[in-house]
Amino acid sequence: MESTNALAAAVEEPIAVRPAAILKGTARGLEALVDGSAPIDAITAALTSRIEEAPGFFRGSDVRVRVEDGPLAAGCLARLDELAARFDLRIVEVSAAKKAADADAVPQPSLAAGTAPAPAAPVAPVESASSPVVAAQADPELAVLMQMLDAPAPSAPAAPVTTPEPEPELAAAAPGARLVIGPVRSGVILEHRGHLVIFGDVNPGAEVRAEGNIVVLGRLRGTAHAGIGRDVGFILALRLEPQQLRIGRKVARAADSDTPANDAEIAYCTGDAIVVERYLGKLPKNLATSI
Amino acid sequence: MGRAIVITSGKGGVGKTTTTANLGAALAQLGHSVVLVDADIGLRNLDVVMGLENRIVYHLVDAIRGKCTAQKALIKDRRMENLWLLPASQTDDKDAVTPEEMRKLIGELRATHDFVLIDSPAGIEQGFKNAIAGADEAIVVATPEVSSIRDADRVVGLLAAADVPARLIVNRISPNLVKKGDMLSQADVIEILALELLGAVPLDDIVIATTNKGVPAVLEGKGLAAKELTRIAKKLAGVEVEDKEAVGFFTRLSRALGLSASPA
Repeated sequence: MESTNALAAAVEEPIAVRPAAILKGTARGLEALVDGSAPIDAITAALTSRIEEAPGFFRGSDVRVRVEDGPLAAGCLARLDELAARFDLRIVEVSAAKKAADADAVPQPSLAAGTAPAPAAPVAPVESASSPVVAAQADPELAVLMQMLDAPAPSAPAAPVTTPEPEPELAAAAPGARLVIGPVRSGVILEHRGHLVIFGDVNPGAEVRAEGNIVVLGRLRGTAHAGIGRDVGFILALRLEPQQLRIGRKVARAADSDTPANDAEIAYCTGDAIVVERYLGKLPKNLATSI
Repeated sequence: MGRAIVITSGKGGVGKTTTTANLGAALAQLGHSVVLVDADIGLRNLDVVMGLENRIVYHLVDAIRGKCTAQKALIKDRRMENLWLLPASQTDDKDAVTPEEMRKLIGELRATHDFVLIDSPAGIEQGFKNAIAGADEAIVVATPEVSSIRDADRVVGLLAAADVPARLIVNRISPNLVKKGDMLSQADVIEILALELLGAVPLDDIVIATTNKGVPAVLEGKGLAAKELTRIAKKLAGVEVEDKEAVGFFTRLSRALGLSASPA
Protein backbone atom coordinates (compact mmCIF):
# COMPACT_ATOMS: atom_id res chain seq x y z
CA MET A 1 0.00 0.00 0.00
CA GLU A 2 2.88 2.21 0.79
CA SER A 3 4.02 2.22 -2.79
CA THR A 4 0.64 3.31 -4.11
CA ASN A 5 0.60 6.18 -1.70
CA ALA A 6 3.99 7.34 -2.82
CA LEU A 7 2.91 7.06 -6.42
CA ALA A 8 -0.14 9.18 -5.78
CA ALA A 9 1.98 11.72 -4.04
CA ALA A 10 4.41 11.86 -6.91
CA VAL A 11 1.70 12.42 -9.43
CA GLU A 12 -0.77 14.64 -7.65
CA GLU A 13 1.00 16.56 -4.96
CA PRO A 14 4.58 17.12 -5.97
CA ILE A 15 4.90 20.18 -3.80
CA ALA A 16 3.16 19.19 -0.63
CA VAL A 17 4.94 15.85 -0.28
CA ARG A 18 8.41 15.32 -1.62
CA PRO A 19 8.28 12.43 -4.14
CA ALA A 20 10.56 9.49 -3.62
CA ALA A 21 12.09 9.96 -7.04
CA ILE A 22 11.94 12.46 -9.88
CA LEU A 23 13.09 12.01 -13.44
CA LYS A 24 14.16 15.17 -15.16
CA GLY A 25 16.02 16.36 -18.19
CA THR A 26 18.98 18.57 -17.43
CA ALA A 27 21.71 20.18 -19.45
CA ARG A 28 23.79 17.08 -18.80
CA GLY A 29 21.17 14.57 -19.81
CA LEU A 30 18.56 12.52 -18.07
CA GLU A 31 18.75 12.64 -14.31
CA ALA A 32 16.96 10.63 -11.65
CA LEU A 33 16.75 12.47 -8.35
CA VAL A 34 16.22 9.87 -5.70
CA ASP A 35 15.26 10.48 -2.10
CA GLY A 36 17.65 8.22 -0.28
CA SER A 37 15.51 8.18 2.83
CA ALA A 38 12.40 6.90 1.00
CA PRO A 39 11.49 3.21 0.93
CA ILE A 40 12.82 1.23 -2.02
CA ASP A 41 9.34 0.41 -3.27
CA ALA A 42 8.33 4.04 -3.28
CA ILE A 43 11.40 4.97 -5.32
CA THR A 44 10.93 2.29 -7.93
CA ALA A 45 7.20 2.94 -8.15
CA ALA A 46 7.69 6.66 -8.70
CA LEU A 47 10.28 6.06 -11.42
CA THR A 48 8.27 3.32 -13.08
CA SER A 49 5.17 5.44 -13.36
CA ARG A 50 7.16 8.33 -14.80
CA ILE A 51 8.89 6.17 -17.40
CA GLU A 52 5.71 4.37 -18.32
CA GLU A 53 4.16 7.65 -19.38
CA ALA A 54 6.52 7.67 -22.35
CA PRO A 55 8.70 4.56 -22.43
CA GLY A 56 9.78 5.19 -26.02
CA PHE A 57 11.08 8.62 -25.22
CA PHE A 58 13.44 7.39 -22.56
CA ARG A 59 14.56 4.17 -24.23
CA GLY A 60 18.31 3.84 -24.69
CA SER A 61 19.07 6.94 -22.64
CA ASP A 62 21.91 7.36 -20.19
CA VAL A 63 20.73 8.18 -16.72
CA ARG A 64 22.60 9.81 -13.89
CA VAL A 65 21.25 8.87 -10.52
CA ARG A 66 21.59 11.54 -7.87
CA VAL A 67 20.83 10.56 -4.33
CA GLU A 68 19.44 13.16 -1.95
CA ASP A 69 19.54 12.53 1.77
CA GLY A 70 21.47 9.34 1.13
CA PRO A 71 22.77 6.77 1.52
CA LEU A 72 20.51 4.49 -0.45
CA ALA A 73 19.07 1.52 1.36
CA ALA A 74 20.83 -1.76 0.72
CA GLY A 75 19.50 -3.46 -2.40
CA CYS A 76 18.11 -0.27 -3.84
CA LEU A 77 20.81 0.02 -6.50
CA ALA A 78 20.09 -3.50 -7.63
CA ARG A 79 16.42 -2.60 -7.99
CA LEU A 80 17.34 0.47 -9.99
CA ASP A 81 19.49 -1.74 -12.21
CA GLU A 82 16.55 -4.03 -12.85
CA LEU A 83 14.40 -1.05 -13.64
CA ALA A 84 17.02 0.33 -16.02
CA ALA A 85 17.31 -3.01 -17.79
CA ARG A 86 13.54 -3.29 -18.08
CA PHE A 87 13.19 0.08 -19.80
CA ASP A 88 16.43 -0.18 -21.74
CA LEU A 89 18.17 2.61 -19.86
CA ARG A 90 21.80 2.84 -18.84
CA ILE A 91 22.84 4.09 -15.45
CA VAL A 92 26.12 5.86 -16.11
CA GLU A 93 26.68 7.56 -12.80
CA VAL A 94 25.52 7.46 -9.22
CA SER A 95 26.33 10.45 -7.08
CA ALA A 96 25.27 12.51 -4.14
CA ALA A 97 23.09 15.49 -4.90
CA LYS A 98 23.84 17.36 -1.70
CA LYS A 99 26.76 19.39 -0.53
CA ALA A 100 30.24 17.89 -0.43
CA ALA A 101 30.05 17.30 3.30
CA ASP A 102 27.40 14.68 2.69
CA ALA A 103 29.51 12.83 0.15
CA ASP A 104 30.92 10.47 2.77
CA ALA A 105 27.49 9.24 3.62
CA VAL A 106 26.87 8.12 0.07
CA PRO A 107 27.74 4.62 -1.06
CA GLN A 108 29.14 5.73 -4.43
CA PRO A 109 31.83 8.38 -4.83
CA SER A 110 30.58 11.48 -6.53
CA LEU A 111 31.92 12.64 -9.84
CA ALA A 112 33.14 15.87 -8.34
CA ALA A 113 35.54 13.99 -6.14
CA GLY A 114 37.48 13.04 -9.26
CA THR A 115 37.32 9.34 -8.61
CA ALA A 116 35.97 6.98 -11.18
CA PRO A 117 32.32 6.37 -10.43
CA ALA A 118 31.48 2.78 -9.75
CA PRO A 119 29.33 1.57 -12.60
CA ALA A 120 25.97 0.58 -11.26
CA ALA A 121 24.94 -1.13 -14.45
CA PRO A 122 27.06 -3.69 -16.24
CA VAL A 123 27.76 -1.51 -19.26
CA ALA A 124 31.21 -1.18 -20.74
CA PRO A 125 31.59 2.42 -21.90
CA VAL A 126 30.71 4.02 -18.61
CA GLU A 127 33.82 6.11 -18.58
CA SER A 128 32.77 7.90 -21.78
CA ALA A 129 29.96 9.56 -19.98
CA SER A 130 31.24 10.05 -16.55
CA SER A 131 35.00 10.30 -16.18
CA PRO A 132 36.18 13.85 -15.62
CA VAL A 133 38.04 14.01 -18.91
CA VAL A 134 37.16 11.77 -21.76
CA ALA A 135 40.03 11.90 -24.15
CA ALA A 136 39.32 8.42 -25.34
CA GLN A 137 37.36 7.73 -28.44
CA ALA A 138 33.84 8.20 -27.33
CA ASP A 139 31.13 5.92 -28.53
CA PRO A 140 29.61 7.77 -31.51
CA GLU A 141 26.13 6.77 -30.47
CA LEU A 142 26.77 8.28 -27.12
CA ALA A 143 27.96 11.47 -28.73
CA VAL A 144 24.77 11.76 -30.72
CA LEU A 145 22.71 10.97 -27.68
CA MET A 146 24.48 13.54 -25.60
CA GLN A 147 23.89 16.11 -28.26
CA MET A 148 20.24 15.24 -28.39
CA LEU A 149 19.89 15.43 -24.68
CA ASP A 150 21.79 18.64 -24.62
CA ALA A 151 19.78 20.45 -27.21
CA PRO A 152 16.67 22.12 -25.97
CA ALA A 153 13.73 19.89 -26.78
CA PRO A 154 10.77 22.20 -26.96
CA SER A 155 8.60 19.89 -29.00
CA ALA A 156 9.07 16.75 -26.94
CA PRO A 157 5.86 16.40 -24.99
CA ALA A 158 7.34 14.03 -22.47
CA ALA A 159 10.30 16.24 -21.60
CA PRO A 160 9.95 16.82 -17.90
CA VAL A 161 10.99 20.45 -17.75
CA THR A 162 10.44 20.68 -14.07
CA THR A 163 13.46 22.66 -12.95
CA PRO A 164 14.52 25.53 -15.16
CA GLU A 165 16.58 27.04 -12.37
CA PRO A 166 20.34 26.46 -12.47
CA GLU A 167 21.89 23.94 -10.16
CA PRO A 168 24.08 25.90 -7.80
CA GLU A 169 25.73 22.90 -6.20
CA LEU A 170 27.45 22.03 -9.50
CA ALA A 171 29.28 25.31 -9.64
CA ALA A 172 30.31 24.90 -6.06
CA ALA A 173 31.58 21.39 -6.66
CA ALA A 174 33.47 22.24 -9.85
CA PRO A 175 37.18 21.54 -9.54
CA GLY A 176 39.77 23.82 -11.09
CA ALA A 177 40.96 23.99 -14.65
CA ARG A 178 42.12 21.00 -16.62
CA LEU A 179 44.88 21.44 -19.16
CA VAL A 180 44.72 19.35 -22.31
CA ILE A 181 47.27 19.08 -25.08
CA GLY A 182 45.60 19.13 -28.50
CA PRO A 183 44.71 18.64 -31.17
CA VAL A 184 41.31 17.44 -30.10
CA ARG A 185 40.30 15.42 -33.12
CA SER A 186 37.03 14.73 -34.84
CA GLY A 187 34.85 12.30 -32.91
CA VAL A 188 36.41 13.05 -29.54
CA ILE A 189 34.31 14.45 -26.72
CA LEU A 190 36.29 16.15 -24.00
CA GLU A 191 34.42 16.75 -20.75
CA HIS A 192 35.38 18.42 -17.52
CA ARG A 193 33.47 19.64 -14.53
CA GLY A 194 35.65 22.72 -14.04
CA HIS A 195 37.32 24.91 -16.63
CA LEU A 196 39.00 23.51 -19.71
CA VAL A 197 42.17 24.87 -21.26
CA ILE A 198 43.25 23.31 -24.53
CA PHE A 199 46.70 23.85 -25.99
CA GLY A 200 46.21 23.26 -29.69
CA ASP A 201 43.28 23.04 -32.03
CA VAL A 202 39.80 21.69 -31.55
CA ASN A 203 39.05 20.21 -34.93
CA PRO A 204 35.69 20.06 -36.72
CA GLY A 205 33.64 17.16 -35.40
CA ALA A 206 35.18 17.34 -31.93
CA GLU A 207 33.31 18.60 -28.91
CA VAL A 208 34.66 20.19 -25.74
CA ARG A 209 32.32 20.49 -22.79
CA ALA A 210 32.83 22.11 -19.41
CA GLU A 211 30.74 23.26 -16.53
CA GLY A 212 33.14 26.15 -16.22
CA ASN A 213 34.73 28.20 -18.98
CA ILE A 214 36.70 27.05 -22.01
CA VAL A 215 39.94 28.50 -23.31
CA VAL A 216 41.38 27.23 -26.58
CA LEU A 217 44.95 28.28 -27.24
CA GLY A 218 44.61 27.40 -30.87
CA ARG A 219 41.78 27.18 -33.37
CA LEU A 220 38.34 26.28 -32.17
CA ARG A 221 36.74 24.66 -35.21
CA GLY A 222 34.53 22.11 -33.52
CA THR A 223 31.78 22.54 -30.99
CA ALA A 224 32.28 24.02 -27.54
CA HIS A 225 29.82 23.95 -24.66
CA ALA A 226 30.71 26.02 -21.61
CA GLY A 227 28.78 26.83 -18.49
CA ILE A 228 26.85 23.58 -18.51
CA GLY A 229 24.23 23.80 -15.81
CA ARG A 230 25.20 27.36 -14.97
CA ASP A 231 24.04 29.46 -17.93
CA VAL A 232 26.94 31.82 -17.41
CA GLY A 233 30.38 31.44 -18.87
CA PHE A 234 32.70 32.17 -21.73
CA ILE A 235 34.60 30.47 -24.52
CA LEU A 236 37.83 32.07 -25.55
CA ALA A 237 39.91 31.01 -28.54
CA LEU A 238 42.87 32.39 -30.42
CA ARG A 239 40.83 31.68 -33.57
CA LEU A 240 37.15 31.33 -32.95
CA GLU A 241 35.81 29.45 -35.97
CA PRO A 242 33.42 27.02 -34.31
CA GLN A 243 30.73 24.84 -35.77
CA GLN A 244 28.60 25.70 -32.81
CA LEU A 245 28.96 27.49 -29.51
CA ARG A 246 26.86 26.63 -26.50
CA ILE A 247 26.90 28.39 -23.18
CA GLY A 248 24.51 27.04 -20.62
CA ARG A 249 21.31 26.49 -22.52
CA LYS A 250 22.04 29.05 -25.23
CA VAL A 251 23.20 27.92 -28.64
CA ALA A 252 24.91 29.96 -31.34
CA ARG A 253 26.35 28.97 -34.66
CA ALA A 254 28.67 30.78 -37.01
CA ALA A 255 27.00 32.93 -39.61
CA ASP A 256 27.14 31.22 -42.98
CA SER A 257 29.10 34.07 -44.50
CA ASP A 258 31.30 34.72 -41.50
CA THR A 259 34.91 35.49 -42.24
CA PRO A 260 36.94 34.61 -39.17
CA ALA A 261 38.80 37.39 -37.45
CA ASN A 262 42.55 37.24 -37.11
CA ASP A 263 42.42 37.97 -33.41
CA ALA A 264 41.57 36.10 -30.30
CA GLU A 265 37.85 36.27 -29.67
CA ILE A 266 35.67 35.61 -26.70
CA ALA A 267 32.10 34.37 -26.71
CA TYR A 268 30.20 34.86 -23.51
CA CYS A 269 26.75 34.66 -22.11
CA THR A 270 25.36 36.52 -19.19
CA GLY A 271 21.98 34.90 -19.34
CA ASP A 272 20.26 36.48 -22.35
CA ALA A 273 22.27 35.71 -25.45
CA ILE A 274 25.70 34.68 -26.62
CA VAL A 275 27.89 37.64 -27.52
CA VAL A 276 31.11 37.30 -29.51
CA GLU A 277 33.70 40.03 -29.43
CA ARG A 278 37.39 40.55 -29.89
CA TYR A 279 39.40 39.62 -26.84
CA LEU A 280 41.37 42.66 -25.80
CA GLY A 281 43.38 41.21 -22.98
CA LYS A 282 40.78 41.23 -20.25
CA LEU A 283 37.40 39.76 -19.55
CA PRO A 284 34.27 41.83 -19.97
CA LYS A 285 33.34 43.35 -16.63
CA ASN A 286 30.20 41.42 -15.85
CA LEU A 287 32.01 38.15 -16.54
CA ALA A 288 34.97 38.63 -14.25
CA THR A 289 32.76 38.12 -11.23
CA SER A 290 31.23 34.94 -12.58
CA ILE A 291 34.36 32.83 -12.60
CA MET B 1 61.80 -8.53 -39.25
CA GLY B 2 59.99 -6.39 -41.79
CA ARG B 3 57.76 -3.39 -41.24
CA ALA B 4 53.99 -3.58 -41.37
CA ILE B 5 52.39 -0.37 -42.64
CA VAL B 6 48.65 0.14 -42.94
CA ILE B 7 47.32 2.53 -45.58
CA THR B 8 44.06 4.04 -44.41
CA SER B 9 41.87 7.12 -44.77
CA GLY B 10 38.45 6.85 -43.19
CA LYS B 11 36.74 8.15 -46.29
CA GLY B 12 36.38 5.94 -49.33
CA GLY B 13 37.58 6.73 -52.82
CA VAL B 14 40.58 8.84 -51.86
CA GLY B 15 43.12 6.48 -53.41
CA LYS B 16 44.13 4.05 -50.68
CA THR B 17 44.28 1.06 -52.97
CA THR B 18 46.11 2.87 -55.76
CA THR B 19 48.58 4.28 -53.26
CA THR B 20 49.15 0.85 -51.74
CA ALA B 21 49.77 -0.73 -55.14
CA ASN B 22 52.16 2.00 -56.22
CA LEU B 23 54.12 2.22 -52.99
CA GLY B 24 54.45 -1.56 -52.99
CA ALA B 25 55.69 -1.63 -56.57
CA ALA B 26 58.07 1.25 -55.93
CA LEU B 27 59.49 -0.41 -52.81
CA ALA B 28 59.95 -3.61 -54.79
CA GLN B 29 61.76 -1.64 -57.49
CA LEU B 30 64.12 -0.43 -54.79
CA GLY B 31 64.98 -4.07 -54.15
CA HIS B 32 62.87 -4.79 -51.07
CA SER B 33 60.65 -7.81 -50.76
CA VAL B 34 57.10 -6.58 -50.35
CA VAL B 35 53.72 -8.16 -49.56
CA LEU B 36 50.55 -6.23 -50.25
CA VAL B 37 47.67 -7.33 -48.05
CA ASP B 38 44.13 -6.51 -49.15
CA ALA B 39 42.22 -6.13 -45.88
CA ASP B 40 39.03 -5.02 -47.61
CA ILE B 41 37.27 -8.33 -47.14
CA GLY B 42 34.15 -8.62 -49.26
CA LEU B 43 35.10 -5.75 -51.57
CA ARG B 44 38.51 -6.71 -52.82
CA ASN B 45 40.16 -4.35 -55.29
CA LEU B 46 43.88 -4.53 -54.87
CA ASP B 47 44.10 -7.64 -57.05
CA VAL B 48 42.39 -5.77 -59.90
CA VAL B 49 44.62 -2.74 -59.57
CA MET B 50 47.64 -5.05 -59.61
CA GLY B 51 46.25 -6.97 -62.58
CA LEU B 52 46.35 -10.26 -60.66
CA GLU B 53 42.67 -11.03 -60.24
CA ASN B 54 42.66 -14.15 -62.37
CA ARG B 55 45.44 -15.80 -60.41
CA ILE B 56 43.66 -15.95 -57.07
CA VAL B 57 43.35 -19.45 -55.63
CA TYR B 58 43.51 -18.85 -51.89
CA HIS B 59 42.85 -15.66 -50.03
CA LEU B 60 43.32 -13.99 -46.66
CA VAL B 61 40.37 -15.67 -44.99
CA ASP B 62 41.58 -19.09 -46.19
CA ALA B 63 44.98 -18.39 -44.68
CA ILE B 64 43.46 -17.33 -41.37
CA ARG B 65 41.10 -20.31 -41.26
CA GLY B 66 44.05 -22.62 -41.86
CA LYS B 67 42.82 -23.82 -45.24
CA CYS B 68 46.29 -23.02 -46.52
CA THR B 69 49.46 -21.44 -45.19
CA ALA B 70 49.90 -17.70 -45.49
CA GLN B 71 52.83 -18.22 -47.84
CA LYS B 72 50.73 -20.40 -50.11
CA ALA B 73 48.00 -17.77 -50.42
CA LEU B 74 50.49 -15.19 -51.73
CA ILE B 75 50.36 -14.39 -55.42
CA LYS B 76 53.60 -13.36 -57.06
CA ASP B 77 53.42 -10.25 -59.20
CA ARG B 78 53.58 -10.70 -62.98
CA ARG B 79 56.39 -8.20 -63.40
CA MET B 80 58.50 -8.38 -60.31
CA GLU B 81 60.15 -11.21 -58.43
CA ASN B 82 59.95 -9.63 -55.00
CA LEU B 83 56.37 -8.29 -54.96
CA TRP B 84 53.52 -10.38 -53.58
CA LEU B 85 49.82 -9.97 -53.02
CA LEU B 86 47.63 -11.53 -50.36
CA PRO B 87 44.15 -10.98 -51.80
CA ALA B 88 41.00 -10.50 -49.73
CA SER B 89 38.09 -12.87 -49.86
CA GLN B 90 35.21 -11.66 -51.98
CA THR B 91 32.53 -13.80 -50.39
CA ASP B 92 33.06 -13.20 -46.67
CA ASP B 93 32.50 -10.02 -44.74
CA LYS B 94 34.58 -7.99 -42.31
CA ASP B 95 33.53 -10.10 -39.32
CA ALA B 96 35.14 -13.19 -40.86
CA VAL B 97 38.41 -12.35 -39.12
CA THR B 98 39.35 -10.80 -35.80
CA PRO B 99 42.07 -8.26 -35.01
CA GLU B 100 43.91 -10.99 -33.10
CA GLU B 101 43.96 -13.28 -36.14
CA MET B 102 45.13 -10.43 -38.35
CA ARG B 103 47.93 -9.62 -35.94
CA LYS B 104 49.13 -13.19 -36.12
CA LEU B 105 48.93 -13.31 -39.91
CA ILE B 106 50.76 -10.01 -40.40
CA GLY B 107 53.38 -11.20 -37.92
CA GLU B 108 53.99 -14.27 -40.06
CA LEU B 109 54.31 -12.21 -43.25
CA ARG B 110 56.70 -9.66 -41.84
CA ALA B 111 58.99 -12.42 -40.66
CA THR B 112 59.73 -13.24 -44.28
CA HIS B 113 59.42 -9.88 -46.06
CA ASP B 114 60.87 -6.37 -45.71
CA PHE B 115 57.56 -4.57 -46.06
CA VAL B 116 53.96 -5.60 -45.45
CA LEU B 117 51.59 -2.96 -46.81
CA ILE B 118 48.03 -3.38 -45.60
CA ASP B 119 45.28 -1.80 -47.69
CA SER B 120 42.55 -0.81 -45.24
CA PRO B 121 38.87 -0.62 -46.13
CA ALA B 122 37.03 2.68 -45.80
CA GLY B 123 35.24 3.32 -42.54
CA ILE B 124 36.23 2.92 -38.93
CA GLU B 125 34.41 -0.26 -38.08
CA GLN B 126 35.51 -3.88 -37.85
CA GLY B 127 37.37 -3.83 -41.18
CA PHE B 128 39.43 -0.86 -40.10
CA LYS B 129 40.15 -2.41 -36.72
CA ASN B 130 41.31 -5.60 -38.44
CA ALA B 131 43.49 -3.66 -40.86
CA ILE B 132 45.35 -1.69 -38.21
CA ALA B 133 45.68 -4.61 -35.80
CA GLY B 134 48.96 -5.95 -37.10
CA ALA B 135 50.47 -2.66 -38.25
CA ASP B 136 53.24 -0.82 -36.48
CA GLU B 137 52.91 2.33 -38.54
CA ALA B 138 50.23 3.95 -40.65
CA ILE B 139 49.95 6.11 -43.73
CA VAL B 140 46.84 8.25 -43.81
CA VAL B 141 45.74 9.19 -47.32
CA ALA B 142 43.65 12.34 -47.64
CA THR B 143 42.54 14.33 -50.62
CA PRO B 144 42.43 18.12 -50.25
CA GLU B 145 38.69 18.17 -49.57
CA VAL B 146 37.00 19.03 -46.29
CA SER B 147 35.10 15.73 -46.15
CA SER B 148 38.25 13.70 -46.60
CA ILE B 149 40.14 15.77 -44.04
CA ARG B 150 37.37 15.41 -41.49
CA ASP B 151 37.42 11.63 -41.83
CA ALA B 152 41.21 11.52 -41.81
CA ASP B 153 41.22 13.53 -38.59
CA ARG B 154 38.93 10.98 -36.98
CA VAL B 155 41.13 8.13 -38.18
CA VAL B 156 44.28 9.83 -36.89
CA GLY B 157 42.63 10.00 -33.48
CA LEU B 158 41.75 6.32 -33.61
CA LEU B 159 45.26 5.41 -34.72
CA ALA B 160 46.73 7.43 -31.87
CA ALA B 161 44.43 5.63 -29.44
CA ALA B 162 45.69 2.33 -30.85
CA ASP B 163 49.31 3.51 -30.54
CA VAL B 164 50.01 3.38 -34.27
CA PRO B 165 52.12 6.34 -35.40
CA ALA B 166 50.79 7.90 -38.59
CA ARG B 167 52.17 9.91 -41.46
CA LEU B 168 50.28 11.68 -44.20
CA ILE B 169 50.00 11.49 -47.97
CA VAL B 170 47.94 14.22 -49.59
CA ASN B 171 46.56 12.68 -52.74
CA ARG B 172 45.24 14.15 -55.99
CA ILE B 173 46.37 17.65 -55.40
CA SER B 174 46.09 20.00 -58.34
CA PRO B 175 48.82 22.66 -58.23
CA ASN B 176 46.93 24.91 -60.61
CA LEU B 177 43.77 24.87 -58.53
CA VAL B 178 45.79 25.47 -55.38
CA LYS B 179 47.49 28.42 -57.02
CA LYS B 180 44.12 29.88 -57.97
CA GLY B 181 42.94 29.41 -54.40
CA ASP B 182 40.25 26.94 -55.40
CA MET B 183 41.79 23.98 -53.64
CA LEU B 184 43.25 23.44 -50.21
CA SER B 185 47.03 23.19 -50.33
CA GLN B 186 48.97 20.45 -48.59
CA ALA B 187 49.97 23.07 -46.03
CA ASP B 188 46.29 23.60 -45.22
CA VAL B 189 45.79 19.87 -44.82
CA ILE B 190 48.82 19.49 -42.58
CA GLU B 191 47.70 22.40 -40.49
CA ILE B 192 44.48 20.65 -39.58
CA LEU B 193 45.77 17.12 -39.28
CA ALA B 194 49.06 18.00 -37.60
CA LEU B 195 50.85 15.02 -39.13
CA GLU B 196 54.22 14.55 -40.72
CA LEU B 197 53.86 14.79 -44.49
CA LEU B 198 55.31 11.92 -46.51
CA GLY B 199 54.38 13.50 -49.80
CA ALA B 200 51.77 15.22 -51.92
CA VAL B 201 50.76 13.25 -55.00
CA PRO B 202 49.51 15.42 -57.84
CA LEU B 203 46.34 14.65 -59.75
CA ASP B 204 47.52 12.76 -62.81
CA ASP B 205 45.50 11.24 -65.66
CA ILE B 206 48.19 8.63 -66.18
CA VAL B 207 47.35 7.04 -62.84
CA ILE B 208 43.75 6.53 -63.92
CA ALA B 209 44.83 4.97 -67.19
CA THR B 210 47.42 2.63 -65.70
CA THR B 211 45.17 1.64 -62.79
CA ASN B 212 42.51 0.54 -65.25
CA LYS B 213 45.11 -1.54 -67.07
CA GLY B 214 46.10 -3.27 -63.86
CA VAL B 215 49.58 -1.77 -63.82
CA PRO B 216 50.81 0.47 -60.99
CA ALA B 217 51.81 3.84 -62.45
CA VAL B 218 55.30 3.68 -60.95
CA LEU B 219 56.06 0.64 -63.12
CA GLU B 220 55.25 2.60 -66.27
CA GLY B 221 57.53 5.30 -64.92
CA LYS B 222 55.56 8.11 -66.48
CA GLY B 223 53.99 11.17 -64.95
CA LEU B 224 54.36 13.41 -61.94
CA ALA B 225 52.31 11.18 -59.66
CA ALA B 226 54.56 8.20 -60.34
CA LYS B 227 57.59 10.33 -59.62
CA GLU B 228 56.20 11.51 -56.31
CA LEU B 229 55.08 8.01 -55.30
CA THR B 230 58.58 6.70 -55.99
CA ARG B 231 59.99 9.51 -53.91
CA ILE B 232 57.63 8.62 -51.05
CA ALA B 233 58.67 4.97 -51.28
CA LYS B 234 62.31 5.99 -50.97
CA LYS B 235 61.47 8.10 -47.97
CA LEU B 236 59.63 5.15 -46.41
CA ALA B 237 62.61 2.92 -47.01
CA GLY B 238 64.87 5.43 -45.33
CA VAL B 239 66.66 6.60 -48.48
CA GLU B 240 67.67 10.25 -48.23
CA VAL B 241 65.42 12.31 -50.46
CA GLU B 242 65.11 16.03 -50.68
CA ASP B 243 61.82 17.26 -49.37
CA LYS B 244 59.69 19.12 -51.80
CA GLU B 245 58.30 22.47 -50.86
CA ALA B 246 55.59 21.37 -48.51
CA VAL B 247 55.12 24.45 -46.43
CA GLY B 248 53.95 27.94 -47.12
CA PHE B 249 56.00 31.08 -47.09
CA PHE B 250 54.94 32.22 -43.65
CA THR B 251 55.58 28.84 -42.11
CA ARG B 252 59.06 28.85 -43.59
CA LEU B 253 59.60 32.40 -42.47
CA SER B 254 58.54 31.69 -38.92
CA ARG B 255 60.55 28.49 -38.92
CA ALA B 256 63.58 30.47 -40.04
CA LEU B 257 62.93 32.84 -37.19
CA GLY B 258 62.59 29.93 -34.83
CA LEU B 259 58.98 30.69 -33.99
CA SER B 260 57.19 27.58 -35.08
CA ALA B 261 57.04 24.37 -33.16
CA SER B 262 57.37 21.16 -35.06
CA PRO B 263 54.04 19.47 -35.76
CA ALA B 264 52.93 17.05 -33.08
